[in-house]
This record gives sequence, structure tokens and C-alpha cells, in this order.
Amino acid sequence: MYRKISKENLRKWLGELKARAAILAPAKERGLWSYREFGLQDFPLRFRNSRLPPKGLFLDPLRALFAWKSSGGSVQLTPLPPLNGQRILIGLKPCDARALRILEPIFTRDYPDVFFLDNLSRTLRLGQACSVLCTGSFCLEMGIDPQESADFDIFFREIPAGYLARVLTDQGRTFTEGDFFAEASAGEWDLARREMPEKKEKPLFRLERVPAGVAQSFPDKNFWERVSAKCINCGICTYLCPTCHCFDLGDLQMPGQGVRFRCWDSCAFPGFTKMAGHNPREEKWRRYRQRVSHKFNFFYQSFQSIACVGCGRCVVHCPVNLDLREVLVEVAR
Amino acid sequence: MSQLGPEKNIYQPHLVEIIKVIPETWDTKTFHIQFQDAAVQESFSFLSGQFGEYSVFGEGEATFCISSSPTRLDHLEFSVKRIGRVTHALHQLNQGDLIGFRGPYGNHFPLDKLKGKNLLFVGGGIGLAPLRSLIHNVLDNRLDYREITILYGARSPQDLCFKYDLETWSRNPTVKMITTVDVGDKDWKGQVGLVPNILEEVGPSADGAVAITCGPPIMIRYALRSMEKLGFTPSQVWTTLEMKMKCGLGKCGRCNIGPLYVCKDGPVFSLAEIQSFLSDEF
Repeated sequence: MYRKISKENLRKWLGELKARAAILAPAKERGLWSYREFGLQDFPLRFRNSRLPPKGLFLDPLRALFAWKSSGGSVQLTPLPPLNGQRILIGLKPCDARALRILEPIFTRDYPDVFFLDNLSRTLRLGQACSVLCTGSFCLEMGIDPQESADFDIFFREIPAGYLARVLTDQGRTFTEGDFFAEASAGEWDLARREMPEKKEKPLFRLERVPAGVAQSFPDKNFWERVSAKCINCGICTYLCPTCHCFDLGDLQMPGQGVRFRCWDSCAFPGFTKMAGHNPREEKWRRYRQRVSHKFNFFYQSFQSIACVGCGRCVVHCPVNLDLREVLVEVAR
Repeated sequence: MSQLGPEKNIYQPHLVEIIKVIPETWDTKTFHIQFQDAAVQESFSFLSGQFGEYSVFGEGEATFCISSSPTRLDHLEFSVKRIGRVTHALHQLNQGDLIGFRGPYGNHFPLDKLKGKNLLFVGGGIGLAPLRSLIHNVLDNRLDYREITILYGARSPQDLCFKYDLETWSRNPTVKMITTVDVGDKDWKGQVGLVPNILEEVGPSADGAVAITCGPPIMIRYALRSMEKLGFTPSQVWTTLEMKMKCGLGKCGRCNIGPLYVCKDGPVFSLAEIQSFLSDEF
């Protein structure tokens, strides 16, 4: 189903929604884009993508899970409920929306994680088609279409008169029922498609070769030592990755009380797999190999999807310019 | 499998009370625990090989197998070697203290594949803990199994865990019990020698047998070679795999090896399974 809305009406529509839900939108602060409470300010221009992925809005970087109180030998546990309240996330990009889809089965299977799943279900996902390819990105290679996506409730394409909206879910439909929207056709939607100006003639690598290529390279110690040689184990690639989801559990202790929390962790850190007697990934190349193998091979075997969307954050923000794309090109040869 | 966790919060443990502490060696203790909530205690069940996440509130959570048998459900037992933060904290605790327990998690030893077989248990050090759950389990249903051989070793007589069990098993006429130490002392009357060497000396037949082993990685590596010499095929050998765990739920990502999460898909694997995914990391 397709709808359209003028820029003026969009503002009015969001103003009305603001009374019902928390609206999160891209905002630039001190030079960095992030998703923040939308104050009906001017609609963000030239937004490519946020520095931190929106995964933190779902898998909180730090989340208290339960609290305890202890006195005189007795202990009392209090569950800390997940956060609630409808949220509307606008301006989300197709890569990051796909990443949320990739994360979902991890937190659904076997033991449903209400902290993650409640955040998903309380958030209406409104996406916006990209007009340029981000620096360092390889979304096209990863099978993400910057101009089309089914990973949203509503997906918007900009047109001179405002926006065309592709409504993808029932929830999206209810939100677009008011007078602010007008009917639109599939033909209009197709006409609003833009080609990426920087699109390369040939993809960097062929995705279908990557999982097997990574698997074949796994025993090749020399290869992993070479590609990880300059890595400094800072973990920024995992921190900025929209699909990295490994976490730690820890305790915050105060006199007579405390909380158990969950926080992001990183397979780049040597302590990640350190056990009582030994550490299977003491050496850096093993940790880098694990990260690449988990994303492009193991995860694929478990969930039939690759845990990478080609957003390019890890490429651009790596302090030593370790370029994941070069590794993928090599394994997919 | 009973799925625990108060409310819907999978990270919140149940409160359990330490009802007994047994010092095993200079650095290892066994804890007997009971759920504070009688209804939970009543409905709790598990299978040999499964593990739990144990909390010392304020210090954190750590993973230990359940070392008691599901055939003896009035309380749970787990054994802890003092090494890191949580294990140090556990060693400070006494009878009556409260800790947290989440579980049971993971898969279990394949009892159906052990029935009617000769069983060979090969354990080293604290690695006897998960085997002990299974040994009690099969001894409590003794008629379902044929010959039972237990080979257990430790570095020295002082390092032997579960001495009370070793004694009971050695007195059991239906069990062939061999205890060995790497280095003996003047009072030691058992075998002296490394577990894999003693295993080859004892030379149990692989015919209609299943071997189950757990211990330090170096012992497992050489014990597996010895078993191969004795004619055991990879599908006749079972072990539990050790890997760093935090959540126990297949989410936190830490125990990932190949396409598996040891916490969810393991920790019990046949050697045949392990050979299909184990890499140079282990």
C-alpha cells in the first residue's frame, strides 16, 4: 500500500503523533548524528547515517536486569521490568533496519529476552531511502537496497512535493490512516526511485562466495595474522556495528543492595573468552578470525542470514584503517 | 525441560540456600543447595550433564555443572575450584547463606545411548564433577547398564575430589574403580601414573562400550588417544566441552565455537560431533 504526504503535513502528522508517542529522529549534535527526541525542529537535512547504530535503542548499552537487597542474612530480589511506552523511530536507514531483523531471532529463540523484544514491539520503524552511499559502505554488496526495504513499518522516499510512503505493516497502516496522507500508486513509488550516484560498475565481491570463502580460510593462520596485523583490539568495530550483540553480565554493588546489569562486550578483547585455566583466543588473529567467521559463516549456518549489513561504520572509524572489505574481497576470490 | 526464571526475566535467578559445604581439597569445595521457594524445589528437574549459573550477589555469576544426580533431587550439588572472583566469593560462604541459581541449561548425557552398554568413565581433577552426576544416575538404575569402570586421577592424593564417592564406588562390587595420582605420598596405596597411561594398562574393551570423559584439556587430549588405541570409535566417546559462558541462554555470544553455542548446543558432545567443528582453538 502506498501513500503520500506533503512536507508541511508530515510535520503536522509528527506533531500529532508526538502527543501519543516518543519520537526519535536523527539530530546532529557536536558534529555527530544520533537518534534523539524529536522536537519538531526542522526536518534533518543531509542525514546519511548515525555514528552509533540504533541497536542501542533496542539492546541497551547498559541495562539493569534485576535488583537485590540484603539484610541480616536474607536476600530479596526485585525484577526490573523492561521499559515501555510507544516509540516512533524516524529516519532509520535500510541497513540498520535489516540489522534489527538479523538480531531478532537471537533474542527470540529458546529463551525470549523481554528486554530486547519489548523494545522492538514498542517501536514503530519509519525508514527513509538513502540518496547517497555512505563513505566506506558496502551495503549493495551485502544485498541491501538503499532505495527499497521491507524491514520497516513505513518506508519513505523523498519527492519534490514531499514524501511517498510504502506502508508495510498493519501498525504502519493504522498510523497513516488520517487526513495528512493521500493515496498514491505503485507507479508513483517506482518513479521516485533514485539511483545511487556513486554506484560502482562491478560489486567489490560476490556475497554468495563469502560464507564458504570464510570457512575455507579458517585454518589459514598466515592469512588471519596478515589481515589482523594492525588491529589494536580497541573494539570500536564491534561497538559501532549494528549487528554485533555480544554482551557481558555484571554486578553493581552498594551497601546492602545492588543490581545485576547487562552491558555490551566485544570479541576483540582478550578477556572475552578467558577461562580459569586457559584462553582459546589469546592471540589477536584468533579474535579477528572469530569476528569475521561468526558474522559471515557461523551466523549464516545458524540463522541463514549474514550478520553484516555493509553500513561501513567499522571501515570508516577503525583507528588503524583495517578495512573489512579487503578481507571479504580476498576470501571471496 | 523445566524452564526457570521468575516472571519472564530470563536473567533473574532463583534464591537458593547453601545447606552444606564440603571441603574437597585445599582449593575445591562442594556446595549443597536447596531452593528457598519450596514450590520451585518441588517442580525442579534436570538431566545429568546440564549446568547452572550461580550468583554471589555483588560479585557476579559463574557457570558450574550440576554435580549431583537427578535421581537424588532433594537438593542440588555443585563443586567449585577457587580461581577467580566469583569462585573466591563462593568459598567464603557458609551453610545458611543465600546465593542465586539459574538453570538447568544445556544438553545432557545421552542415557538412551548408554543403556545396555559397558560404561567407562575417565575423569581428572574437578572434571569428575559432571561425570559424578552421571555415575550416581546410572548406579541408581544399575540394572540398565552392564560393566561399569571408573578411572579417576588427580595430581596428588591431596587433589582427589569426592573422596567419599571414590570410597563408596570402590566398595561397590558392581563397579571397577581405579584411582590414580601423578605423584603419590607415603600413605598412598592406589595407582601412580597419568590417567591416559593407566587407562592403557587397564585396557578396557571397546566392544559394546561407551566412554565418557571429563578433565583438564591436556588429560582429555591424551585420554582420547588412549581410547583410540583401545579401539573406541569417535561415536563411542562422549565428553563435556569447556568454554567461557555468561548467559547460558545462547545469546551473549561468548561460548561460540563454529556454528554452535556450547551453552545451548552442548556442553555434552560425542567425539564424532566435536571432530566436525573443533578447530585449532582447542
